[in-house]
Amino acid sequence: MTDSHSGRRLTARGAKTRARIVAAAAELMYVKGVAATTIDDVLAASGSSKSQLYHHFDSKEALVRAVVDHVGQNTLDRERESLGHVSTLRGLRRWRDALVQSNALRHGAYGCALGTLASEVSDHDDLARRALSQLFSEWQGLLADVLRRLQDDGVLKPDVSVDQLATGLIGALQGGYMLAQAERDVAPMATSVDMALAHIESLSTSR
Amino acid sequence: MTTYFAEVLAIEGAALAQVRDRAGMTCWRRRVVRELLRPETSYAFALRGAIDGDAGREFLVAWRELLAAAVDRVLRSGDSQEAGSVAAQGQAGGADAERLAVLILAALHGGGTLSRVAEDPAPLDAALDIALAPLMAGSRGDEAGPPAYDQAVT
Repeated sequence: MTDSHSGRRLTARGAKTRARIVAAAAELMYVKGVAATTIDDVLAASGSSKSQLYHHFDSKEALVRAVVDHVGQNTLDRERESLGHVSTLRGLRRWRDALVQSNALRHGAYGCALGTLASEVSDHDDLARRALSQLFSEWQGLLADVLRRLQDDGVLKPDVSVDQLATGLIGALQGGYMLAQAERDVAPMATSVDMALAHIESLSTSR
Repeated sequence: MTTYFAEVLAIEGAALAQVRDRAGMTCWRRRVVRELLRPETSYAFALRGAIDGDAGREFLVAWRELLAAAVDRVLRSGDSQEAGSVAAQGQAGGADAERLAVLILAALHGGGTLSRVAEDPAPLDAALDIALAPLMAGSRGDEAGPPAYDQAVT
């Protein structure tokens, strides 16, 4: 692994310190928001010194970009795991149930970690915006693959645009997370995804 | 932030009161999409600021109620093919209008965020296509087609 700041190859110890700083920053930014998280907060939470942090990141902006990558890869790993083998409408419902259940544990309070970053940083940092755009495209691609498998198996009508449907489903999911966050209640998220999935089910060949 | 909330609710209260059929909903959609895709409008500020605090929550609830009333009118107008099938499933029109209003608001919020991230109107458009599909059965949500991002934001 190389340091994005200096371009040098990291030692095992350096990589561990960097990972600890990014994980602490990601957690703080998820709970408090990006703007409200200070470098001092990250130092305290990660147990790192200022010189260690600035050795890896020359600014808060650089740290935020590393957080975007970290949260994005975690989100995509989770979604690959849960969507990778889904090939039925029931499987898609189970995917929805897992996301809603997980968000219900916190009463929807913190939303989707990637969506929260998107709301906060995309207007201020073009590099972070591009990275987020790429990550959401990959997530949408995983959902499109599920819908394509449904279409190939004759479950979804052949004239359905799976890419457009996947894009809309991600939008409904993200909006649901945001409404749940605002209301401190997972119900609007559950309703949003339910209604979006009901639309997808209405496009099945059995309807 | 409360100024933005009040401004959006005033505009939406007047605009959604005019929505009585599919054509009215299509006009509403076209205008709101234009507002949301511009980064400096009251709509964009209000939705971004709605996540935190009681004022944001009250703003979203009030907007959702306005949307539900408009959706209910469209469903009852008989203009929507889906209205028949909804009734056939034995679901109450009012309850469906409320659930659809939640999805429409989510589509505006989530689709709008993803469109800003991608600098492309497609995510907002695709999310609204799903949300408005039960009202627009048989036609595309926006007959005029989505605007290009640079046209939509300038």
